Amino acid sequence: METDIRGKGLKRLVLFIAAELFMVALFVWFFDPFYQYHSPFFGQAVLNDRDNQMPGTVRNFEYDSVLMGSSVAENFDTDFIDRAYGCKTLKVIRASGSAADLLYYLEMAQEGHELKNVFWCLDIFALNASAETTLEGGDVPRYLHTKSVLDDIPYVYNKEIILEKIPSMLVFSYLGRNTGGNAYNWSEGKTFSAVQAMRAYDRLLVTPDMMLDEVDFSGEIPDISENLSRIRAQLSEHPGTRYRFILPPYSMLWWDSAYVNGQLEKQFYILDRIFSELSAFENAELYFFQSQEDIVCDLDNYMDMVHYSPEINQYMLERMTAGGNVITGENREEALADMRRLAESISREKIFYYYR
Amino acid sequence: MLFNSVFFITWFLPLALLGWYLLQRLENPGFAKAFLTGMSFWFYGYYNANYLWILLCSLVFNYGVSALMRRDGTGKTGGSEKAGTGKLRKLLLAAGISGNLGLLFYFKYFNFFIDNCNFIFHTDIRIEKIALPLGISFFTFQQLSFVVERYRGNAPHYSALDYSFFISFFPQLVAGPIVLHSELVPQLAERKNRKISPGFFYDGLTLFILGLAKKVLLADALAVLVNSEFENIHALDSPSAWLVICWFTMELYFDFSGYSDMARGIAGMFGFELPVNFDSPFKATSMREFWKRWHMTLTRFLTQYIYIPLGGSRKGRARQCINVMLVFFVSGLWHGASWTFVIWGLINGLAQVFEIVFPRLRLPGKWINRIITFVIYAVSLVFFRSDTLEQALLFLSKMFTAGNRGMLLGVCNMLQYTENYAILKLLDLRSPQFINLFFLSCMCLISALCVRFLYGPTAEQWIKDKGHTLRGSLILATLFVWVFISLSQVSVFLYFNF
Repeated sequence: METDIRGKGLKRLVLFIAAELFMVALFVWFFDPFYQYHSPFFGQAVLNDRDNQMPGTVRNFEYDSVLMGSSVAENFDTDFIDRAYGCKTLKVIRASGSAADLLYYLEMAQEGHELKNVFWCLDIFALNASAETTLEGGDVPRYLHTKSVLDDIPYVYNKEIILEKIPSMLVFSYLGRNTGGNAYNWSEGKTFSAVQAMRAYDRLLVTPDMMLDEVDFSGEIPDISENLSRIRAQLSEHPGTRYRFILPPYSMLWWDSAYVNGQLEKQFYILDRIFSELSAFENAELYFFQSQEDIVCDLDNYMDMVHYSPEINQYMLERMTAGGNVITGENREEALADMRRLAESISREKIFYYYR
Repeated sequence: MLFNSVFFITWFLPLALLGWYLLQRLENPGFAKAFLTGMSFWFYGYYNANYLWILLCSLVFNYGVSALMRRDGTGKTGGSEKAGTGKLRKLLLAAGISGNLGLLFYFKYFNFFIDNCNFIFHTDIRIEKIALPLGISFFTFQQLSFVVERYRGNAPHYSALDYSFFISFFPQLVAGPIVLHSELVPQLAERKNRKISPGFFYDGLTLFILGLAKKVLLADALAVLVNSEFENIHALDSPSAWLVICWFTMELYFDFSGYSDMARGIAGMFGFELPVNFDSPFKATSMREFWKRWHMTLTRFLTQYIYIPLGGSRKGRARQCINVMLVFFVSGLWHGASWTFVIWGLINGLAQVFEIVFPRLRLPGKWINRIITFVIYAVSLVFFRSDTLEQALLFLSKMFTAGNRGMLLGVCNMLQYTENYAILKLLDLRSPQFINLFFLSCMCLISALCVRFLYGPTAEQWIKDKGHTLRGSLILATLFVWVFISLSQVSVFLYFNF
């Protein structure tokens, strides 16, 4: 008798557990804050959790263009791009801007989408990063990158998803934050000022004769070559896609830091290779903003060495649509010489203005 | 492998259960035993396969000692042998004890020994830090007990498979209970384990769920505050220091008794019964009673193999007091190779000695004595939780001399859980002036819940009374799902280090 009761209890308990687990899974599947299974059933997608949402959005969203880059690309307004180029753009961001990681996402996007445009905010420092992707076994949960649902238990049955991510998503959706063209936009609450930028720069006030000698970067050339070779392969394999490379303006602090640390020649080497190798492609356009002195040397545009205000993102888009700041085979030498002149003047004169 | 992990719950445990009961259908039960022993080895070597070699060597060594003892005994197999008197048997006992203690000394105490030598003799001997294999204290004590029982003639020489199964049975392998051979091995021969019993299985499953809930929902919630404040002792005042140590006392209980419940529950699902390790210890009205209810299998081991051989209470009160202090010295050292653990043990020993010497010196009232017992144990745990003696003394000074500087509210601000995330965000937006009040309420609520569970019925009693009702099943199912969705924030068990 006792055993019968407990036998029935076992069935009932298993049934209850199964029913509750099913309801939890249904709830997570419906709201799907990382977009692992579908784009939102209603309202606009809230995109505020870059690394966790990236694989799902790349796989499951509808788009025909992508905007790629590091955190400096996050404040671009994709609605503006869509209107200007007549397309539907998805932001594809990797914090480091690593070329290998962005190519990983680009190839994932190309598996299910015919891309018309790739807007690539190309960071110089991303090209001497490792040519191996950091997404395999890296800091992002594996289940995000597989199509299988069998490894999704940590996503579907996770109280942080249920009690933090989903409520946040609903509130953000209601408030219209990080939706549409403002996906991943982080500028709210940030201060862009010379004081803020200088606070983030820890260079000591030293005289030019105390600077480091140029560092030998020959050991990094294989990675630079491999990264560029993979980008060239991407351009060759997709002649129907228009690639627009944007070289964003880092502040004068970044250039000064490169000078102080003896890395200026490495940056010019990378720039030279980008100009010469990518401008040769019919389906590629290069937009160069790094030598734009009025932006680079005005630290009120920045919050640290590289992160500029959303107004600069908008400025770049407007210049692009107007056909400005273009690098071609003809003007690349001149653009490089301009950049070199600016970098030298930064470390000899301009930087000292901010130490007064 | 952790019991509170998705992999264990969704893959390992179902696979082990399925294999065990399917193989039981074969005529030869050896296949099922071999399967479960293999699963236990996998469980043990999951994080570090090297530890498995240590376990295997220890198994082979002790089994060898047992086998050699047979040659010096009556020669019978399968049944008990009479205690032999031969020299070889004594030598084997000495070898068995030395081997087990040597293993424990090397892996657990060698670094501590060298540190103390350096301190005493002003030397500068440096050795590489020796990693402590998981649960070495548990399986070593279990085997020590077996070797001694073999010598005494109370244990037969088991088959290699039965012996491996007994030592490595994964529910009790890494954090106990410390099982005696006579409690587990005879169950291997019983028919009830060979067929799934819904009743037994239900009791095991429900006990496992309640143990999981104790660990994941209570102990881990308490640990959030305890861990952060032990990193920041300087900032504490008296009320906050008392709160932290009371919460640690409850954390330790829910953590370890939760593990023991899980171990007993899992064993129950396989048809085995493991000994009870906790019997509502905070219901004790004296420290002597407390230690009869707390980590009962360790207390039993120390009583059987140290206290009684030393003479117990048979040789006068003075000798009894010395014996108690020795037992608690060993208990402290068993818990960790550090003077903080030794002092923790000695404080508990002293409290018992006090009760032996002044048996009538008691305050009237059950609750007042329960509170005194709780406070004594909590104060001793300052040493248990501290990394160094300096840290422990600093914490004690905060408890007794820091006064009230209003730090309690600041400490409560640590109580940021996923469960209260939405309310906190809402308060932050709409009524930030109520946030402190909210944290204080969280602290009171959690404390009240913990006290309720400390002094309420045991998990087994609750299952017996309410676990079979519709409401009970619903509560258990909800607890399981709540735990399951919490497993992304996995923490290790405190007693794995011992």
